[in-house]
Amino acid sequence: MRISEDQARELAARAVALTPADEAEAVVAANDAALTRFANNRIHQNVAEEDTTVSVRAVLGKRTGVASTNRLDDAALKACCESAVAAARVAPEDAEYPGLPKPAQIERIERVCASTQAFDAEARAKAAAAIIEQSRFRGLSAAGTVARVDYAVAIANSHGVDAAMGVTDVKATVLSAGTDGGSGWASWLGCDAAQFAPEALGDEAAMLAQRSDDPGSLEPGAYAVVLAPEAVSDVLDFLGYLGFGAQAVAEKASFIAGHEGELLLSELITLTENALSAETVGLTFDFEGSPKRRTPLVEAGVVRGPVTDSYWAAKLGVPNTGHALPAPNPYGPLPMNLELAAGKTSVDEMIASVERGLYVTRFHYVNVEDPVRVTLTGMTRDGTFLIENGRLTQPVKNIRFTQSAVDALSDVRAVGDRRVLVGPEEGGANLTPALLLGSWNVTGQTR
Amino acid sequence: MKDLVTTALDAAASAGSTYADARVVLTSEESISVRTGRVEGIESSESLGIGIRVIADGAWGFASTSALTPDAIRTAARQAVAIARASAITAAAPVRLSPVGVFDDVWRGPCEIDPFKIPLEEKLALLLAADEGLRTQELVTVTSASLGFIKVEKVFGSSEGSMIEQSYVESSAGIVAYALGDGEVLPRSYPNSHGGQSVQGGWEAILKLDLIGNAPRVAEEAAALVSAIPCPATTTTVILDASQIALQVHESVGHPTELDRVLGDEAAFAGTSFVQLGDLGSLRYGSKHVSVVADATVPGSLGSFGYDDEGVPAQRDYIVHEGLFTGFQSSREAAAAIGRASNGCARADGWNRIPLVRMTTLSLEPGDWSFDDLIADTDDGIYFETNSSWSIDDRRLNFQFACEIGWEIKGGKLGRMIKNPNYTGITPKFWAGCDAVCSAEHWQVWGVPNCGKGEPMQVAHVAHGASPARFRDIQVGVGR
Repeated sequence: MRISEDQARELAARAVALTPADEAEAVVAANDAALTRFANNRIHQNVAEEDTTVSVRAVLGKRTGVASTNRLDDAALKACCESAVAAARVAPEDAEYPGLPKPAQIERIERVCASTQAFDAEARAKAAAAIIEQSRFRGLSAAGTVARVDYAVAIANSHGVDAAMGVTDVKATVLSAGTDGGSGWASWLGCDAAQFAPEALGDEAAMLAQRSDDPGSLEPGAYAVVLAPEAVSDVLDFLGYLGFGAQAVAEKASFIAGHEGELLLSELITLTENALSAETVGLTFDFEGSPKRRTPLVEAGVVRGPVTDSYWAAKLGVPNTGHALPAPNPYGPLPMNLELAAGKTSVDEMIASVERGLYVTRFHYVNVEDPVRVTLTGMTRDGTFLIENGRLTQPVKNIRFTQSAVDALSDVRAVGDRRVLVGPEEGGANLTPALLLGSWNVTGQTR
Repeated sequence: MKDLVTTALDAAASAGSTYADARVVLTSEESISVRTGRVEGIESSESLGIGIRVIADGAWGFASTSALTPDAIRTAARQAVAIARASAITAAAPVRLSPVGVFDDVWRGPCEIDPFKIPLEEKLALLLAADEGLRTQELVTVTSASLGFIKVEKVFGSSEGSMIEQSYVESSAGIVAYALGDGEVLPRSYPNSHGGQSVQGGWEAILKLDLIGNAPRVAEEAAALVSAIPCPATTTTVILDASQIALQVHESVGHPTELDRVLGDEAAFAGTSFVQLGDLGSLRYGSKHVSVVADATVPGSLGSFGYDDEGVPAQRDYIVHEGLFTGFQSSREAAAAIGRASNGCARADGWNRIPLVRMTTLSLEPGDWSFDDLIADTDDGIYFETNSSWSIDDRRLNFQFACEIGWEIKGGKLGRMIKNPNYTGITPKFWAGCDAVCSAEHWQVWGVPNCGKGEPMQVAHVAHGASPARFRDIQVGVGR
C-alpha cells in the first residue's frame, strides 16, 4: 500500500524545509502498482511494485539544480536536498528564469476508486482468466495485461504551493491471435475497476481475430482510411508532442509556429488539452503544482496553443497553462490529456461511405520522419481490412504507412460519434473518436 | 545488501515458494544538459530497492519494494508468493528452469576515472564549450550537448545457493546541431544520435570523444543539410555507417531472435517474431558475409556483465553464423522450453522489474573491406550516416529507417549530400543482399541505452559492434 496523500504532502513540505536555497520545490510520487500479464492463454508474468520518490529543485538566484531519491530516512533526504543545492551553486545563471510558481486554485476531482485499490492479484488473475476464456473456447490464443495502479503525487514549494492528489487506474489489453494470420485487439482504461468488464473485452478481441484471419496483399498507394480510436490516439500523441508544446513552437520546430490563428487542419477537427474532463485519468495539476488549464489547441481546424509551464509562459509572455513535466526535461511542457471533439458519424456509417479504402484497428511502432510536418512511419496490426463499396471485405496483412499527420488531418471526411479513452502506461490519456480520412499513404506491407 | 537478499529468500521459502531469487539494486545517476547556450538541467538521482521473484504452485510471482526494513522485505516476499498462487489460476504447466551452476562471486565493470568524482564545474565547462562550438553557423538555431553517468551496484541471490555481487559505471555524451530550413528541422549529431555514445567506463571515455573538437564540423554539416538534395525514390545499393548497422542489427536480428518473443511471451506488446523454433540451424538469415554474435564479455560495452540477472554466467554465442541462423538469445525459462541451457540473456531494468530476455552485445562480425575500397567498388548508390528514425513490424520483418545524412555514390566516389534519406526492406531479403562488410579497423561497439520491452515497460542498456556494410537492391526515398 502506498503512502497517503497527506503523508506525501508532509514529505514534500519536509523536503522543502530541508533545502537551504532561495527557492525550493519538492515533488513526491508514491506508487503502488501491479500488473498481471498473460500470453498463450496463461498468466506468465505477475508483478507488483511499491516505491516513493522525492525530487527536489533548489534555486539560488537564477541558478537551479535537481536531485531525487527514494531513500526516505532523514540522512538520505537531507543529502538529496543538499545535492540539489550543490548543483544549483555551480549552474550558470539563467537570465530568463522566472522563479518557481506561486500557489493557484486547483480543481479537486476525485480519481481514487476503492474498487481499484482492492483489485488484488486474485481479482486480476480472475479477470485475466475471463479474458483468456473468450479466445480459448474459439481455439484462439490470448495475450495481454490486466494492470492496476494507485498513486499519489504531492508538490510543495517555498512560495506556498501545496498540491496533492491520489489517482487509481485500471488498464487492460488483449490481443487474440488466430491460427491463420488473424489477430484482434481490445483495450480498456478507467479509474474504477468495478466498471471493467473483462469478458466483453476478451470477446471484442477474439471476434476481431476471427474476422481478420487469412489476410491478403495490398498495393502501395493513397487510400481513404477509417482509423479506429486506438489508431487516432497514436496520431494525436505525436501531434501533441511535436506540435503543441511551447518549446517546439519557440524553436520553430512545430507546424503551428508562426501560424497560430490560421486554418491549418480540417474544420471537423477540434482538439483540446483537458485534464479536467470527467472522462479522463491522471493529475489535475502539473509537476510544478500549477493547475492544468483546459487549453484549446485546435478549434474547427484553426490552430491555437501551445501548452506552457512557468518558464515558457514567462519567456513567451503568455499564461501558464499548467503542463510542466518533471524538472529538468528536454521537451518543455507537453499536453497529456488530449480530447478530440466527437462528430455525428458512426463507424458503420463511415465504412458505408467509402468506395475503396482501409479500416485500421491500431498502429504499431510509429516513429517520426519529419517533426515539423509530423510525418510518421509505422505499421498497422491486429485487424486491418480493405473497405470495398461500403463494406469491410478482405483482411489485409499489416501495412506500412509514411504519412504527414498534418496533411492527413487537413482532409477529414467524418468524425466518429463515440469516444474512447486510450492511454499510455501512465500519466495521461487521449479521449478520441474514430476518424475517416480522405487519404493515407500506404508505402509497404509485411509478408 | 547480502543480508537483505537472505532475508527475502528465507521469507519466500517460509511462505511456500519452490524457487526464489532476490536482487537488491542501488542505481545512482547524474545528468547534465545544455541547450542553445542555456543549462537545461543538472540532476542527480538514486534509487534503491529489492525485487523478489518466486515460483509457487508452479507459477511466477514478483513483488518489489523500496522499503528495506526486514519487515517490509518479508511482506514483499509473502506478497510475491501470493501473486504466484494467483498466477496459478491459469497456469497450464508448471514453470521449468534450465539448470545453472551455483556461484559466489564478485564482478566489476571497467572504470579508470570515476565520473562522479569529476567536479560539476568541469563537466559544465565541457558541455558549454561544445555547445558554443555548435553555435557557429547562422542556419543552426538550436543546439544541445549532454552528459550522463550511471553507477549500478547490485546483489543477486537465489534459493539454489548463488550470491553474486556486481557493479559497473556507464558514461554517455553527445551533441546535436539543429539547422532550420524552409519548414524543416535538420539535426546532425555526434558521435551518434539519441543521446550520443554510451559505454561501460568512466570519464576517460568522455574525453576520448572530443566533443569540443567535433562541434564545428557537426554544425557545418547541419547547415549544409539545408541545401542538400532530397533522397531520390528508387531501388539502389546502400552503404550504412557502423552506427546505423548497429541499430539495424538491434531491430532485425536482436529482437527477432529473443526466445521469449518466439515463444509468444511478448505478443501483445512488442510482438512476436518471424523466426520459428524449427528454424534453428536451417533458416538462411542472410548472406555468407553475415555473422552475428551475442557476447556479454566485450570489455567496456553496455551489454557486458559477469552474470545475468538470473545468475547465469556471461557467454559468447553465435546467433547467425555465415548467414545461417544458429542460436536464440534466452533466459532460464525460455531455454528450458526448448530443452537447452540459458545463454545468459536475462536482464532486468532495476530492482522493481523482472528479468526478461534482452540483448547483450550483439554484433555483426567485421569483414575484410576498407571503407575507401568499399566506396570505390560501388558504381551507384547512397551512403547513410547516423540514425534519425526507426520502425519495424510486430514480427520484425518490414522495417523502415531514416538517417540524418547521406551522400550519393557515383562511379566509386562520394558525391552530393542528401537530406533525410530513408530506406525500407524485409529482414531476410535485406540481410541476403549484404555483399560486403568493412574490416575490424572500422568496427566499433555502439551503446543503445533505450531498448524498450515488456510490461511494465523496461528500458535495457545493450550494445552492438558493427562496421560499415553494403547492401544491394534496397528501396530508398520512401514516401518522398
